[in-house]
Amino acid sequence: MNLVRAELSRLLARRFTQLMLILLVGSFVVTIATMVGSSHRPTAAEWERAEIQVVQEESRQEQMRELCESGQGTTDFCQTLSERKPRLEDYLFGVFVFEREIGNLVYFMVAFVALFGFLVAASFVGAELNSGGMTNLLLWRPQRLTVLGTKLGTLLASVLAVAVVATVGYIASFWVIAQVNGLPGDVDAEFWGDLAMLVVRGLLLVLGAAALGFCLATLGRHTAAAMGVVAGYAIVWEVGARIVMEVVEAGRTETYMLSTYLGAWMGGRVTFYDGPCIGSFEDCSYSLTWAHGLIVLTALVAVVAVAAFANFRRRDLA
Amino acid sequence: MLTVRFLAMSAVIEIDGLRKTFRTLRGGARVALDGFDMTVEAGQVHGFLGPNGSGKTTTLRALLGLVHADAGRMAVLGRQAPAELPAVAGRVGAIVESPQFFGNFTGRRTLRLLATAGGVPHERVEEVLDQVGLRDRGDERVKGYSLGMKQRLAVASALLKQPELLILDEPANGLDPAGIREMRDLMRDLAAANVTVLVSSHILAEIQLICDHVTIISRGRRVLSGPVSEVLSGFDKGEYRVRVAEHERAAEVIRGAGLPVTVHDDHFVVGDLADPAWVSETLGGQGMWIRELTPLTPDLESVFLQLTGTEPEPGTHKQVDDAVRPGAEHDLSVTVVEGEAK
Ligand SMILES: Nc1ncnc2c1ncn2[C@@H]1O[C@H](COP(=O)(O)OP(=O)(O)O)[C@@H](O)[C@H]1O
Ligand SMILES: [Mg+2]
Repeated sequence: MNLVRAELSRLLARRFTQLMLILLVGSFVVTIATMVGSSHRPTAAEWERAEIQVVQEESRQEQMRELCESGQGTTDFCQTLSERKPRLEDYLFGVFVFEREIGNLVYFMVAFVALFGFLVAASFVGAELNSGGMTNLLLWRPQRLTVLGTKLGTLLASVLAVAVVATVGYIASFWVIAQVNGLPGDVDAEFWGDLAMLVVRGLLLVLGAAALGFCLATLGRHTAAAMGVVAGYAIVWEVGARIVMEVVEAGRTETYMLSTYLGAWMGGRVTFYDGPCIGSFEDCSYSLTWAHGLIVLTALVAVVAVAAFANFRRRDLA
Repeated sequence: MLTVRFLAMSAVIEIDGLRKTFRTLRGGARVALDGFDMTVEAGQVHGFLGPNGSGKTTTLRALLGLVHADAGRMAVLGRQAPAELPAVAGRVGAIVESPQFFGNFTGRRTLRLLATAGGVPHERVEEVLDQVGLRDRGDERVKGYSLGMKQRLAVASALLKQPELLILDEPANGLDPAGIREMRDLMRDLAAANVTVLVSSHILAEIQLICDHVTIISRGRRVLSGPVSEVLSGFDKGEYRVRVAEHERAAEVIRGAGLPVTVHDDHFVVGDLADPAWVSETLGGQGMWIRELTPLTPDLESVFLQLTGTEPEPGTHKQVDDAVRPGAEHDLSVTVVEGEAK
């Protein structure tokens, strides 16, 4: 417990942590302010025009449906038809519709908080390894796994706390904007359930990113090592290897990319078209779900974490 | 009193056959410790002497569990190190090689965090700040401290838990003369308070002033260890410096009597001399009148330079690895005085 308190004050006292927190809050404020500036309550005239357009669209769709029922039109088109009920919000421009846009906004936020977690985590352990702070602590507590574990645990708890506060503040801000300056949209129980799941997945992703940053920096003994590994991976594998695989026409390239699993985890499902290929879209495409994402990303973090702790346990400390 | 003292003597640090080879990523290997032994008894102020790169810091790091030894047995306060270190860590204060602190924290805050992590009451922080002379500078950032102030802060951190055993690696590093004197006084106070102190240094005069026992290391092996007084008397060769007008002729006379003589530019040195009066008598008898007759008592510095083979030679630049490897090219085992505590 004492160790946790000590670690917490070290984390909070770090300039880098404070700077990143300011950047995080700053970027959110900018996003929210932009949204406030670009949204407005629809005027009576806008409502009227939108209502007319909805009626027009409905009658157009009605014609299409008849066409499909009579056996004309492609099946793909006819299948999607029933899912596309025209809505008023579709015809109101410059109006922030909470239900429509919060998903993408949460994606943006998760990306930002994950980056925050990764960098803060990497620098927290990297700086301590380099400044001799870790050595000092180990003279007091000669239990390496306990010390490193407490550090990681304290860090993850702090990052989670920041992420939760940020998420709640962020979503609440947009909710208020929608109430005051826009439209909430069609927010039913299902919508809130989906949003909650998205947030939970986002928070887990943030924790994973922080753990990864921490463990990579531990392994590489340097803050920069963590960033270097990520940058190196992105350039060599996500870009370089992808090009090579496409040149040699290896199938299902995307299954080898971590970015795919990241997308699958956050989006629930990602589908790729593996062309050139003869047959229907289903025959030529493949999908990965959030479960695949969960397995691959968890395995990645677990492997790096085990490696980091095992290495730290035996390592000669300067 | 003698009995009590004898009973109180138990090994606080025992190191036996410690080996450590550092391997670099490129496949290079550097033997830092090559079967090193050391014993420090309770209540000693034990000097740990050796040239640069001889393995002092590595030994202390291994003892404190910061470096994994390849072989050897170590015990601290009767517990196996590093396996059982957690059990005794609260009784051992240590600083290892210019300790680094987090620059953005103030000295006081640095110590408070350590105190928190180690479960030491915060009042203790003020006591140690005062003890090392940083009381009035405790609220400045460590970044702005001089090397000597950082060293003091390090000592303060080691003292925080009121250790029974204090391990200091080159504590005089970067200290000004006043700081060195304070450090010396501090160590004396601690010794008086029955704290066992192990202090590594390459500053020999310092060790000679404050330590009662010494272990000398060269290239990863022990060259010698024992009470400082015994080490010095063991190296007392009964040498005297003699200045006399016709010193070369005088040297011949003495040599003729069978004593070892080394002639220098304006004087000569005679060894194995039981009674200096014999020299004045002999030379006086030949009409040569002595101007100076000085006993050359060895100091730790000459012992050290001689044992480790790092004595400067005119016209050569000694390299750090030119130190003597005991038991290898130069067999120094004959001169080892084993530290049998009397
Ligand atoms: N981390 C390390 N990696 C490689 N070699 C090292 C390392 N630490 C120490 N050494 C080598 O081990 C030897 C002993 O070093 P050290 O114990 O620091 O000497 P001292 O403290 O007596 O000056 C030196 O030759 C040094 O170069
Ligand atoms: Mg050293």
